[in-house]
Amino acid sequence: MIELSGITKSFNSGRSNQFTAVDNVSLVVKQQQVTVFKGPSGSGKTSLLTMIGCMARPTSGRIFLRGVAAAIPFQGDGVEAVEITSLPERFLNEIRRSTFGFIFQQFNLVKGITVLENVMLPAYPTGEGRALFRARALGLLEQFGLSRHAAQKVELLSGGESQRVAIARSLINNPSIIIADEPTAHLDSKLSHEFMAIVGRLRGEGKSVLIASHDPIVFDSPLVDALVEMRDGAVLDSRGER
Amino acid sequence: MNRVIERHLNILEFTLASLLRRKGRNFSLLAMYLLVIFMLASLLFFVTALKREAAIILSDAPDMIVQQLVAGRQDLVPVAYAGEIARIRGVTAVTPRLWGYYYDAFNGANYTIIADDAAEPDRVSIGSGVARVRNLAVGDLLPLISYDKVPVMLEIGTVFPSASDLIAADLITVSPVGFHHLFNFPAGQATDLAVTVRNPKELSTIASKIASQFPGSRPVLKSEILRTYQSVFNWRGGMTLLLLTSALLSFIIFAWDKATGLSAEERKEIGILKSIGWETSDVLLLKFWEGAVISLTAFLLGTVLAYGHVFFLSAPLFAQALKGWSVIYPRFQLLPVVDVSQLTILFFLTVVPYTTATILPCWRAATIDPDAAMRY
Amino acid sequence: MRRSLQFLLFIAVSLAVFLSLPLHARHQQRLAEAVVKPQAAQLRSLHVTDLCLATEARYTRHPAVADRHAAFQDHPLALEHFPSGSLILPTTSARTKP
Repeated sequence: MIELSGITKSFNSGRSNQFTAVDNVSLVVKQQQVTVFKGPSGSGKTSLLTMIGCMARPTSGRIFLRGVAAAIPFQGDGVEAVEITSLPERFLNEIRRSTFGFIFQQFNLVKGITVLENVMLPAYPTGEGRALFRARALGLLEQFGLSRHAAQKVELLSGGESQRVAIARSLINNPSIIIADEPTAHLDSKLSHEFMAIVGRLRGEGKSVLIASHDPIVFDSPLVDALVEMRDGAVLDSRGER
Repeated sequence: MNRVIERHLNILEFTLASLLRRKGRNFSLLAMYLLVIFMLASLLFFVTALKREAAIILSDAPDMIVQQLVAGRQDLVPVAYAGEIARIRGVTAVTPRLWGYYYDAFNGANYTIIADDAAEPDRVSIGSGVARVRNLAVGDLLPLISYDKVPVMLEIGTVFPSASDLIAADLITVSPVGFHHLFNFPAGQATDLAVTVRNPKELSTIASKIASQFPGSRPVLKSEILRTYQSVFNWRGGMTLLLLTSALLSFIIFAWDKATGLSAEERKEIGILKSIGWETSDVLLLKFWEGAVISLTAFLLGTVLAYGHVFFLSAPLFAQALKGWSVIYPRFQLLPVVDVSQLTILFFLTVVPYTTATILPCWRAATIDPDAAMRY
Repeated sequence: MRRSLQFLLFIAVSLAVFLSLPLHARHQQRLAEAVVKPQAAQLRSLHVTDLCLATEARYTRHPAVADRHAAFQDHPLALEHFPSGSLILPTTSARTKP
């Protein structure tokens, strides 16, 4: 369970162009569910996801990870909740790497290197043996029907294939939570439906999926367990659909 | 421990993949870099070996040479000076030297002709350079033209081996009688005087005594001779300076290119790496390897190739410059010398700044927030 | 073999060759000592003062005992004539003392 309490994020604070992207948001995201953050662009949903994903720190407020198998070297098994907003950078990175997988709007694949290497990229700095994560990456590519593209350069892929490579990459370190930011923005309806099918599969494997989107294909999907509606940095409506 | 090594290997792996993306660019960069190191290292090896060679050869040089100057130009020394100088306290021996140059109109070569007291009349020893350009061997006759255009036939007694080319390539040693005859050299005169002293510490005292006792004389000390050779190829010398400057300039261009050349593409890539969980230190490690791969390869290959160039191939690149317009040039096979401290300096002047220049511009890009990639 | 190990192996081999250079140099010097010594004795009696590097002119053949103004040849304004003249500086005594 991810618990947010009183999360505020402001940019350029103290200056004339100060604005508040996220304003005093408190909510609970359940595990092994698909949670969609819905709202127009600028509503603060992306900012909220970056804070949950340990990419940025909130200006104020706290985020707790409860019962999430987060790799924190100094915490024993007995500790159940981790308050991530006050952790030092090092541990934050460690948690981010092992707990979260990210799927970006622009896919953010590294051009010029192969599909396989792109998928393995997040595993490089972990110090894991290459043979291990290479096998895992090949498994993921097979799972997403990309095996024959493994040795191909990423720029030769179609949009849907790029998307699937990006998903495979987000899964390489076995994260328990997947965060996707406007994942369908560059996909047509057919591919968007395919993406949601993959999301369903991930939920079936016990992963939590957090999606920021204003695409009806995403938030109207029957797969969505919880929907958080946001506008101007605040939560308008939050409901668990089932 | 294992994880640390794996992390390095993995990141190195990505570095290599990422360098291979721009094959043409990076290989030409490597080639340029290699060339700079190669030239600098060749120069270091060449100069160090020559200096060592000079030190060994000149350790046998006379303690002092006394020349006579007339109107600022070198003139003949009266042999009578020898006896007087020998009387100065501390001087053990004074040998008048007879030597000069012989221009061979036949092939345009300059020979150095030295009178050797031990030589028999009409028999000469020649350097291998002379033997080469005149195509002569032991027992052949060497025709020289005397001052009054009369050919003189001299029998070749010995040819100095080419291993001694660095001293003797253009030498012809003749008997003193033959020398006087060949050049119509005035009797009672010598080219200069070689002075040997008992205690080298007294050399400068003796030199000033000679200078005051014989107006117009110029004593050249052995230390000055040695110093000449140490400075002939010092870093301010012609070719050395030229090479150093060009190498330095090309290096500045490298570093400039690196320091300013962080493209939007690279910046974006760093952003992506950060967003998928790479830490700042991981990105910097990547950049470190990027610089180290190129500069280490260039340094190691460059120095090894330079060693081969100078000591196995006798530095053909420099030989051309050194030969100049000479007809006779020594075929010296330099004895290898490796000056570890100079190579260390070369390492710290090339590999370290290059690697630093690769890392530094990425520092700021690497410290961007990982969520920046979300905003593209 | 993975690419990083290949590269490290290449660096290791180059490093080994690089580090063996001083050893090779020392070895060659030892070998040469036996040959060089007798030759030096043969030429010692000649009181050689200079290395035979460039034979074009007095001041390049015998820089140590050349004329004081040899690098300027016969006239102080004469331009440097020989290529090797740019390599071989005038004597230190000519440059330092009047």
